[in-house]
Amino acid sequence: MRSLTRRQQIAAAALSVLALLFITLDFTGGAFSGARGGTTGALGSLYRGTDAIVGPARRFVQGIPDVGRDRTELARLQQDNARLRAQLTDQAADASTAQQLKGLQLQADSAGWQTMPTRVVATGPGAGFQWTVTVDVGSREHITAGQTVTDGAALIGRVLRVYPTTSVVLLVADKNSAVGVRDTRSGELLLAKGTGVTGMLATPLDNQLDVRKGDQLVTGPVGQSTYVAGIAVGTVTSVTTTAGGSVTVSVRPAAAQTGLNLIGVVLQQPRTTARAPLTSVGGTLGAG
Amino acid sequence: MTFSRIALALAGVLTVLLVQATLISPLTFPVPVSLPALLVVIVAIYAGPGVGVGFGFAVGLVADLGSAHPAGVQALCWLGAGLLAGRVGGLAVGRRYGTRAVAGLAAVLAAGSSLSVTLILAVLGYPVPSVTSAVAWTVPIALTDALLGLLLVPLIRKLLRAYSIRPPRADAVLLGRPADVFIRSASVDGQRRSGALR
Repeated sequence: MRSLTRRQQIAAAALSVLALLFITLDFTGGAFSGARGGTTGALGSLYRGTDAIVGPARRFVQGIPDVGRDRTELARLQQDNARLRAQLTDQAADASTAQQLKGLQLQADSAGWQTMPTRVVATGPGAGFQWTVTVDVGSREHITAGQTVTDGAALIGRVLRVYPTTSVVLLVADKNSAVGVRDTRSGELLLAKGTGVTGMLATPLDNQLDVRKGDQLVTGPVGQSTYVAGIAVGTVTSVTTTAGGSVTVSVRPAAAQTGLNLIGVVLQQPRTTARAPLTSVGGTLGAG
Repeated sequence: MTFSRIALALAGVLTVLLVQATLISPLTFPVPVSLPALLVVIVAIYAGPGVGVGFGFAVGLVADLGSAHPAGVQALCWLGAGLLAGRVGGLAVGRRYGTRAVAGLAAVLAAGSSLSVTLILAVLGYPVPSVTSAVAWTVPIALTDALLGLLLVPLIRKLLRAYSIRPPRADAVLLGRPADVFIRSASVDGQRRSGALR
């Protein structure tokens, strides 16, 4: 074991006493504040320079333990984000659905119908027709072929085929669809046929009819139509008369034929009371 | 002490303090691993207790002045660590212990010096961890110091054995009776000489 020489022993003792003296002076009165400030300042500048060099490596090493946690956190946040987005979408869809239900209810209330709300579960060609949608109600809900389908404000189409839990609805824009309509301004009757993307073309029963651009058309008693009367069908966009004298009326459907979600099937309304005839009361007509 | 030794010591102290502040402390927080203390101990092991005392005091004082606690605490503790390491290290060096053994010895001594610093600061009333925590931290400090020592020991040993910083001393080997000395090899005025000394 090595030992200190005599001079080294004296030096070690002196340094020890000096260290104790420093501790005492600094602890009691802060005698080294100036020296400390200078040293700290000089080292601080060097720390910044050194940190620029070793900092990236240090931060890399410091980040290693957090890699798994960060990934887990990121995955959790992504799941939360997706869930919140789904909630927002659901809320928007719910609001839209509620609005559509409200429209169906208003229409049913005002017309005295019973309407079966249903959701479109599929679209596209079906049953040999081009413009059809499949809804999630069927014979179990007492849906029958030929029933009118509405979105609460306008005509959508009619039930074409019925299955136990689903039904196929033929849209009015389909080329095989024909709807008897009435001009609400003039009361003229027309037969509107679907033309696909361009909407509908209406053919008057009488070429001397009074139909103008902008007239509103509602379902009316024409032909073998099974549609419930009085539902908005569309708006006249143009009236064309050919050289042969035939008149063609272009109609823009009142209900969008695409993007359908919640619609209603109008059930046959039971007539519970006999309709009262109108009688003359003091020169005016009134219900007897 | 030659200029090259002083320059090397200053460079070593400065480098270790900077690495301690920017790399070791952030990475080992809250375990107070001290690279300067480890440096003092390893230098003392290879250079002896005399160098260890002076080097420990100098490094500790600079570290004290760069810290918030009273100046002299680390100077005193590392002085003692240098003294102890110089004395105990003589055995390790004399028996030609390997790097791992020296690193282990240095780690134990450095951890002890860190513990002593914590205890003195606790006595002075500074906000340091409890004595229990300080003692419990000694083991991770020693383990970390041992790992760091595996890197530092070969480096410091090589630097201290470098011819340019070795202390000037005669390396004559005496053969035979004092009256008739044959110098097999000696350094005279910087040149190697050999021959009989009358």
